[in-house]
Amino acid sequence: MQYLVQLLISGLAIGAIYGLIAMGFAVIYKSTGLVNFAQGEMTMITAYIAWTISTTVSGNVFVVAIGAILAAVLLGLIIERLVMRPMLGEPVFATVMVTIGLAVILRSAINFIWDAYPHGLDIGMGRGIVHLGGIGVRTGQLAVIATLLLLLAAIWAFFRYSKVGVAMRAVAADDRTALLMGISATRVHALAWAASSVIAGIGGVFFALSYDLSPAMFQLGLKAFPATILGGLDAVLGSGLGGLLIGITENLAGGYLGSGMKEVAGFAMIIVVLMVRPFGIFGERDIERV
Amino acid sequence: MIKHLAAAALLLSTAHLAIGPAVAADPGITDTEILIGDVEPLTGPPALLGVAASIGHKIAIAEANAAGGINGRKIKYVLEDDGYVTARTIQGVKKVIDVDKVFAMIGISGSGQSIAVMPVLEKSGIPTVIDVAPVKFLWEPPRKNVFVVGQSYEEGIIHLINFLADKNPGRKWGLITQDDDYGITVRDGFDSVVKAKKLNVVYSGNYKKGQQDFSSDMLQLKESGAEVFLAGGIIAENIAMMKELEKLGIKPVTGIFWPGRIEPVLKLMGPAGDGIYAVDYVEPFAGTAGKAFLEKAKPLVSEAEFKGINRYTMTGYAAAKVLIAAIERCGKQPTWACTIAELEKTKNVETGVMAPISFGPGVRFSNQKLQIMQADAKTPSFKPVD
Repeated sequence: MQYLVQLLISGLAIGAIYGLIAMGFAVIYKSTGLVNFAQGEMTMITAYIAWTISTTVSGNVFVVAIGAILAAVLLGLIIERLVMRPMLGEPVFATVMVTIGLAVILRSAINFIWDAYPHGLDIGMGRGIVHLGGIGVRTGQLAVIATLLLLLAAIWAFFRYSKVGVAMRAVAADDRTALLMGISATRVHALAWAASSVIAGIGGVFFALSYDLSPAMFQLGLKAFPATILGGLDAVLGSGLGGLLIGITENLAGGYLGSGMKEVAGFAMIIVVLMVRPFGIFGERDIERV
Repeated sequence: MIKHLAAAALLLSTAHLAIGPAVAADPGITDTEILIGDVEPLTGPPALLGVAASIGHKIAIAEANAAGGINGRKIKYVLEDDGYVTARTIQGVKKVIDVDKVFAMIGISGSGQSIAVMPVLEKSGIPTVIDVAPVKFLWEPPRKNVFVVGQSYEEGIIHLINFLADKNPGRKWGLITQDDDYGITVRDGFDSVVKAKKLNVVYSGNYKKGQQDFSSDMLQLKESGAEVFLAGGIIAENIAMMKELEKLGIKPVTGIFWPGRIEPVLKLMGPAGDGIYAVDYVEPFAGTAGKAFLEKAKPLVSEAEFKGINRYTMTGYAAAKVLIAAIERCGKQPTWACTIAELEKTKNVETGVMAPISFGPGVRFSNQKLQIMQADAKTPSFKPVD
């Protein structure tokens, strides 16, 4: 039983990181209809910036957190303004290719700005081990699960009750009508990129805290993308939960079926789920009226 | 008239032969410089080894240039990035040979990449010294123009497992490897000792390249009761495994392979990495030879490059020293044929960073002496134990 619980806790911890990044995917898709293939790289850049702040400015957790969030906002806004906005109105394929190009550039930037060595993010907390009923868990892992749950609640409230959230939903539903109602689609897009960058960046920082920073970190995006597909590309909350599901499935498969099955299990689950619900567990069915 | 013209032509050609050509027949060499080419992963995660190896080449080249170059010619280093993508390695090597027209090649990316590029190297006939990823295919069968400095992955693993098995008789063993050619090589080496020493293997895992979370794998290792563990990851994987083991509250006797034997890795493992064993054929930086190498390197590279030094810098340095010495022995007019012949004659060349290097007729592999080291998390460094 302890074995199972241990697998579940570890699965929840890594799944929470996938979930945060997956939510980043969904925020952009929901607002712009675009899949951002540079999401993993944006996550990595924010984590590296957090590490730079911790080693050059201050290792204080609040300084690092505020600095990383501001940096993520800036990163999202810059990408939206300089790279994505000029692509408005262009074919989706071209826009997606731009995000792939952006991913390669951001990936290479790690070696140009930082280096290829792995680094540890030390902010004086998150790396300690606590024992829950005899099971060792890092405090950072508990924190990321709690953060995901808090963010899920906050984002639900944001989309449901805030003016900006309602505006984002309106743009996602029909940007032309939203424009007629006085909503600036470009502003909503900019906000979506900034929000996506921050949410995914939080996942990246927690990953760096629990594991380490390395130029291979962008691969988290590849793990989080199936979580978005599973939860629903247009379902921000669903994507978060999809991350948890993928994390747990991976760990259970790895623990009971063998190491080799770990990476396969999540994708196998997606295939099965998509056969039944092609729009994801929490996604909305796309209805075209003719 | 015809007789006069023939005599004049004969005289001219004799004079030309006597004076010698202004430049050698082979490419990459002028009156003032010699070009040496290299293709390494300078971006992406494997840049850790590619950048470090290129720094080693630069140190040896800077050292030679400071001493006047190769018989008066300065060495120019032409370096290309392949991003650890095999297609780009082939493209890069072709570019360096055909466009930059270098005189010799050195380094050359990872094992898969150097294997893939072998037909290009063989066809061109360019003198080549490979130092980053020594795998048997590179010297078996021996290629006329390709020399390899280092030790094979299989031999490295066999040496490590034999050491751990002798030190821990009757213990239960666990192993995890990556699902690629590197992992297969590690597993083959491990399996050969398992059969010979009849080791009791209770856990055998195989992870997908790029895996970052090892919680379920290490939990399985714990459940199996393994007491001796071969962590077959490269860099970040070994860090993640050791931290998982720390979290699970177990500390099996652990061995790692040389690609991960770099000090920053040890620093990131923290106390979890204390006491782990590693095998290598280059000197540890904590030893006298390692310290002397760092002292030598400091004035020859930039501050950023100095920070990028790791064990691959030593392998790169040693290979470049061997290549430079061979070209130098060819005198004022080095050619490819002469350089290859001189590389073959390489006998006990001291580089200060590994055992003396030798090749021989039909021998294209230097077969370096191995040593076992143990990690000290406090310093953090590796110290020889055998």
